[in-house]
Amino acid sequence: MAAFSRRHVLMGGAAGLAASALRITPVSAADDELYAAAKKEGALNLYWGSYEQKTIEEIRDAFKAKYPGIEVSLLRQASQTIFTRLRLEIQNDAVQCDSIGTTNLLHYKDLQKIGAIQPFKPSNIDMVPEAFRGIDPENTYHVGAISLTTINQSTSVTAPPASWTALLDAPWANQITTGSPAFSGDVASWVVAIRKKYGDDFLRAFAKQKPKVGQSNVDTVTDILSGERKVGSAAPFSYSLTQQAAGNPIGVTVPSDDAILNLGLTAVPTKAPHPNAGKLFTDFLYSVEVSNILAKNFWPTLRTDVPWAEGRTLESIKWYRNPVDNLSAEVAEGIAKWKEIIG
Amino acid sequence: MASSPPMSAARSASVGYRRHHAFRLVVLVILLAVLALLIVQPLGWIVFNSFHDDDTGRWTLRNYAQIFASTSLWAPLFNSLLLATAVAVISTLLGVPLAWLVARTDMPMRGFIRLFTMAAFVTPSFIGALGWILLAAPNSGWLNVGWRALSGADWPLLNIYSMTGTIFVCSIYTVPYTFTLVSSALEEMPVELEDAATTLGSGVLKTMFSVTIPLVMPAVLVGFILSFIQGMTLFGVPAFLLTPSGTLVVTTKLAEFYQLFPPALYMSAAYCMPLIAITGMLFYARRRILGRRQFTTVGGKGRAGRKIRLKGWRLVALVFALFVPVTAVVLPYVAIVLVSLSRAWGLGPVPSNLTLHWYRWAIFENAETQRAIVNSLVYAGIAASFCMVIGILVAYIVERKLLRGAGLLAALVTIPIIIPGIVLSVGFFSAYTRQPLNLYGTAMLIIAAFVATFLPIAYSQAGSILKGISPDLERAARSVGASEARTFASITAPLMRGGLVAGWLLVFIPIMRELSVAIFLVSPRTNVMTTLIYNYKDGGNYEAVCAASALLLFATLIVVLLARFVTEGAAYRRRNAASLGAAP
Repeated sequence: MAAFSRRHVLMGGAAGLAASALRITPVSAADDELYAAAKKEGALNLYWGSYEQKTIEEIRDAFKAKYPGIEVSLLRQASQTIFTRLRLEIQNDAVQCDSIGTTNLLHYKDLQKIGAIQPFKPSNIDMVPEAFRGIDPENTYHVGAISLTTINQSTSVTAPPASWTALLDAPWANQITTGSPAFSGDVASWVVAIRKKYGDDFLRAFAKQKPKVGQSNVDTVTDILSGERKVGSAAPFSYSLTQQAAGNPIGVTVPSDDAILNLGLTAVPTKAPHPNAGKLFTDFLYSVEVSNILAKNFWPTLRTDVPWAEGRTLESIKWYRNPVDNLSAEVAEGIAKWKEIIG
Repeated sequence: MASSPPMSAARSASVGYRRHHAFRLVVLVILLAVLALLIVQPLGWIVFNSFHDDDTGRWTLRNYAQIFASTSLWAPLFNSLLLATAVAVISTLLGVPLAWLVARTDMPMRGFIRLFTMAAFVTPSFIGALGWILLAAPNSGWLNVGWRALSGADWPLLNIYSMTGTIFVCSIYTVPYTFTLVSSALEEMPVELEDAATTLGSGVLKTMFSVTIPLVMPAVLVGFILSFIQGMTLFGVPAFLLTPSGTLVVTTKLAEFYQLFPPALYMSAAYCMPLIAITGMLFYARRRILGRRQFTTVGGKGRAGRKIRLKGWRLVALVFALFVPVTAVVLPYVAIVLVSLSRAWGLGPVPSNLTLHWYRWAIFENAETQRAIVNSLVYAGIAASFCMVIGILVAYIVERKLLRGAGLLAALVTIPIIIPGIVLSVGFFSAYTRQPLNLYGTAMLIIAAFVATFLPIAYSQAGSILKGISPDLERAARSVGASEARTFASITAPLMRGGLVAGWLLVFIPIMRELSVAIFLVSPRTNVMTTLIYNYKDGGNYEAVCAASALLLFATLIVVLLARFVTEGAAYRRRNAASLGAAP
């Protein structure tokens, strides 16, 4: 399995390199100019909550290698903490952040409303899957990470539930672990999606299964590995695969009624001290280098020409993304319903 | 207590008098300025924020109205009160006898028990909770698996995901507060008082309850209050252990406020105000209980040198004393170290799964961890030292009533510890990211926040030591012409020394394991161990979490041992001197 996946990653990387070689002239010209401006600024402060410590450190190191002469500082904290901090910085007129990356669209709606993030078009945004290009018509925020919410299970489970509704079947009573929408953005977006698909009846039936509710969706993996529970609902796809690759007895099931896709986003604050460096980093996110790092760490890649680990692609997975228009109210309502029905 | 003005107009006396007062004034002004910056300003911002609307940013009373009106906001407060009271009672019941056994008796393995109780102190409680999840989760916990195998029962013996489980885990990690405070007080106590009781026919236990413990009441009460506060402000343990049952406490409710859009920072500030009132009542109660009673144990005579013989009770005592070291350190760390040595912890401790990779990675390969270890040690060391200096000065002023309104000063330095770190962090952010005091991104900001947060511990410890030192000794020095400063430096400070090292550790260790107050203040350069460990936990990398925790424990224990070495040396010299002087 490991060799298979490595080969795919390498093939993907090679394909990506070849593809980018064909388009190298325009991208590089724009980047050269931006690089020169960023180098003049001399520093880059990244505030990132998308991706776990290891992956974001690898991305930072790759950036440093590609663009010497820019001093890069990385502050990696939970998405909501990062967002709260940037808001405090804005409030006190002490913005230090050049690039923010978090897992929650509502952060950017809020920042956009107060004019705190600046519009620009990354030069290589065309390499991003079409569904995620131009997600903000004003171009103030862009895709930063693709996160999938699926089912995970212990390897001792021979026939895992194949869909979200299958989780409501008798064998999974007292066997399910999940995160809390009040603490985890990914779980909140799963609750919104599941209510859209099946209404509150799903939550009522789900409550009867007596799921164990942890804080983060990462806790599902902990419960499965320790043997406390057998099946995880609203579970993190990439992280579960990483644990599987490390040799842990865990597997992932993509439900037939759709993996829930949550976009992580990124923006450059209006008052960023090093705006060009921030923009250069956004460009870099859509480079082959970064997508190779993402594939290696079992994250969906940000480029159409670099397949994910183990040969998966966006097209090979059935996914659903919540419509964004009324998201804020729907999240609040979803959390309230969850508390009322599940506790 | 001012010295009386010189009656004669002898020139030199008058100069000395003026100089003395000038010195006193300078010290006071500096101290008040430091306290204003460290405490009043950030607290002021928190109060200011609490009267603002999170959505509009305008002045409002709505936050407070909401707290009074909404039962869903009352429930977490009630749960926190229950948790904190239980934690305080249990920690006192465990910690006080434990301190007595270690400090005053000939129980075996005293050094081991002292070290391991300190190790419990060093452990961030969320790590302890993690260890206990591995041990006592209803289905998979090792203890429950063992129980089922032995008894054939199909139900779990222990369920850590409950209020009882939470109280238990919080308590065993809080006992060290009481233990350290009380044992350091006991070590300063003269043995004659106990001898007198024994001579009059009172048994060992009766002597302990009727003479020894009442004499160290100031330390016991401070231990009780600090444990209560700890139970109120802990986040990690209730977050892990109470979330599954849907029970919220103040800190987990605050975490929910921070998840809202926009984050309800101002609401959180208002939500902390009842906590200040509750703690205020506790400190008031303490004053009423202690009243004008005397707790002077350090007079002009020699001190404890002889241990009380437990005879047949030695083994029983040892079994009791092992409870905290075993439950808070040995058992969870077996789990934590096993995970830290695993390639993939889900595979369990089989030979092919063992590796030193995570330690190698943390110590040699990862620049972030290296920097964070150094930062944690340096910041905690500097902050603890500042804390002690300020704490002693304030305690001296309060205990010796050098200033009118000293009680107010005492209340002021006590407030920060009750405010949950995440709210305090916002207060510090508001106070120190604007001109003229823009410290954002600097180490100074983090150190200042640590000093303010943990000043109450330093102050309480210094206060309870001072209560034990007879002012007669200081008066003697003053009457032969020594100035207040000189008296303090050459009489009071040396008498306090043993307790001060204990106090320094009581501040140093919580700083090492503090997470939330640093959360909005750390920068990539000033990152500390706990924020990094929390990130690894956030990313689910438990092998790294456990390796980093084991390193954190190791680094702190070295400092504890060093400090212990220093005090033991001092105590040894003092005892020698005392026994020479007071030899029969």
